Amino acid sequence: MKRFKCKFFSVILSVMILCVSVLPLYGCGEDEDDAIVLRVSNWEEYIDEGEWDEEEAIELDNGTVICPENSMIDDFEAWFEETYGKKVRVEYSTFGTNEELYNQMLMGDVYDLACPSEYMIQKMIAEDMLEPYTKDFYNASDDNNYYAKGVSPYIKNVFDNLSIDGKKLSDYAAGYMWGTLGIVYNPEVITEEEASHWNLLLDEKYSKRVTIKDSVRDAYFAGNSIFNEALITSSAFLNASDYKSKLDATINATDSDTVNSVEDILSRIKDNVYSFETDSGKADMVSGKVVANQQWSGDAVYTLDQAEEEGVELCYSAPKEATNLWFDGWCMLRAGIDGDAEKKLAAEAFVNFMSRPDNAIRNMWYIGYTSVIAGGDDSSMLDYINWTYSMDEETAEEEGVELMEYPIGYFFTGKFEDELDAETSVKYTIVADSAQMNRQLFAQYPTEEVMARSVVMEYFDKDENERINRMWLNVRCFDLYKFLGGK
Amino acid sequence: MKGNWFSRKQLAIPYIMFLILFVVLPLIVVLYYAFTDGDGNVSFENFLHFFQNGKTVGTLVYSVIIALITTVVCLLIAYPVAYILAKGSFCGKHAFLMLFVLPMWINFTLRITAMKEILTVIEGNLAYYQFFNTILCMVYDFLPFMILPLYNTLTKLDKSLIEAAHDLGADKVQVFFKVVLPLSVPGIISGVTMVFLPSMTNYVVLDMIYNSTYIMGSLIGSYFSAYDWHNGSVISIILLAMIFVVTMISNRFTDGDDASAERARRL
Repeated sequence: MKRFKCKFFSVILSVMILCVSVLPLYGCGEDEDDAIVLRVSNWEEYIDEGEWDEEEAIELDNGTVICPENSMIDDFEAWFEETYGKKVRVEYSTFGTNEELYNQMLMGDVYDLACPSEYMIQKMIAEDMLEPYTKDFYNASDDNNYYAKGVSPYIKNVFDNLSIDGKKLSDYAAGYMWGTLGIVYNPEVITEEEASHWNLLLDEKYSKRVTIKDSVRDAYFAGNSIFNEALITSSAFLNASDYKSKLDATINATDSDTVNSVEDILSRIKDNVYSFETDSGKADMVSGKVVANQQWSGDAVYTLDQAEEEGVELCYSAPKEATNLWFDGWCMLRAGIDGDAEKKLAAEAFVNFMSRPDNAIRNMWYIGYTSVIAGGDDSSMLDYINWTYSMDEETAEEEGVELMEYPIGYFFTGKFEDELDAETSVKYTIVADSAQMNRQLFAQYPTEEVMARSVVMEYFDKDENERINRMWLNVRCFDLYKFLGGK
Repeated sequence: MKGNWFSRKQLAIPYIMFLILFVVLPLIVVLYYAFTDGDGNVSFENFLHFFQNGKTVGTLVYSVIIALITTVVCLLIAYPVAYILAKGSFCGKHAFLMLFVLPMWINFTLRITAMKEILTVIEGNLAYYQFFNTILCMVYDFLPFMILPLYNTLTKLDKSLIEAAHDLGADKVQVFFKVVLPLSVPGIISGVTMVFLPSMTNYVVLDMIYNSTYIMGSLIGSYFSAYDWHNGSVISIILLAMIFVVTMISNRFTDGDDASAERARRL
């Protein structure tokens, strides 16, 4: 998840973690039992904690009923013992930003399994911090290998195509959640057309009523898309045979000309927007303080749900120029695993357990983000999407809404519509309220069209990072020159 | 029995341990990072980096302006309050003091959140009044820290000096400016130190009320999250230098105070 908690809390948290990490030194000794200890670090509020009410139970068409009592961690410990005949004890901790996780490890915290975002995974691979998954993990014929069996072919392809220093991302990371970066907006104030362009952030009509994420990478993505707007929306560019790779290169460009231009754009955005927000954007959207806000898809789903409860209708858009495709993945850490085969087995089992379709659904339902799991032979995930969104004609008539066909075959098959046979296409087409075209369904599973213009923002190396961080400071620092009447 | 008691030296051990672990060692680490480059060589590059960049200097100026205005406003509000509380003779004095100190018991993020909601009702869109709101919330946050030291100094003030001034023909205004104010300088100094420097780094307040401009505190945070310990440490050193200067000045005042007391005793 790419969610920022208030910096203040992360500082408090790190102090607490520091204290807690010192404490065990005193109690040093052997474990009471010979359980495998698995140290897992994940984003805050990024896993199901159980204790569902009976009314919350999800009953799927294929007969699966999901209504967990225990937390995911407890269930994993029980499942592991049952399946592998060994005891495991999970030590679960959380982090607030990728940088926080990285810094914690730099300071000496040791984990066996962590869940950073794509660029941080690349950084960790480049710094040789990660342990590759075993061959067995990818063996889809093993019944317990839920990840290999169930991962979406589309997402798998994205993983396979990303590499750094010749090392493939898919050897070191197993996906957890994925999504896009877009704009949540209030359709009563802002038109769909206005919300489909990043330059909404610069629109003086909505001056001081729009927020942007307080994150250098997300701001850079928006700024660079605005800078290159004319180029990347030109028909010559769009129709080029190597469109996708050109778009990737353009959005990931960090040469000084681009960085300087983006700095200029972001400075103008800073003057125009309500604020750079860390976590307040969701509440401010619901309360109406702001009318649009740059948001990650999962948080957008949360915001839209909250707003609905308050009787407000909000929408989500994935801008036309380019859409950021991001994901978080489970990685085994070399320092933690330390060549221990049993530990590696437990870590891989943990990922597999998270990837079991019913568990993936549990997590999705609890946190609002979209799992990378499509389910393979298991129809649970498709049934869950249908359970959440699909609507029959009768209900549509009763509620006076129009229905639409929403194909998401790409996610389940890895192929776009024009390559699919009619039967498969129909199977993976959701019939839903047409308002879902720019609402939760769209936020959770974007259309093919959006995926075609999606770009993974890759890791910047040391020089690039320095350039971009300097740019960010220049944007955020007080401009004395301008204040004193300069241009 | 005496032998069973801890000696003074032994009693100091926990305190010294604390000082070494949480003050001296971190300080050494900060100094190390501030004066070295990425390869561990001694270098002043980081300082040049800060002072040659107009934007970071701009942020230093911005932080000082915020801190200065906050301190002055706090002083202007706190002094009369502390004076009335200390010198006035009305019932419920302690209850009033309590009312001013009470907010200190509530976490400041909660107080600022409440303030934010109130301001939204009054102002509508907070983004148009960022600077004003920043000052307002900072003052709200730090006011008790100004009132308490002033109150302490003013209650300890020797009444006979004021009476003597009156007897010698000074009017109320003269008494205040010639006697009370100079004698309360130590209180003012300690109040100022407790407000000025913290308000230069209290970036959470700015974050919470939608002021997206960096101050010194946010700059440190920003460098650290980009793994740039060197430049982050430089900011800390600059702040440390400012603390040093402020303490020097305040020491001079309190030294002067002691010296005059010494002189008085000799007479």
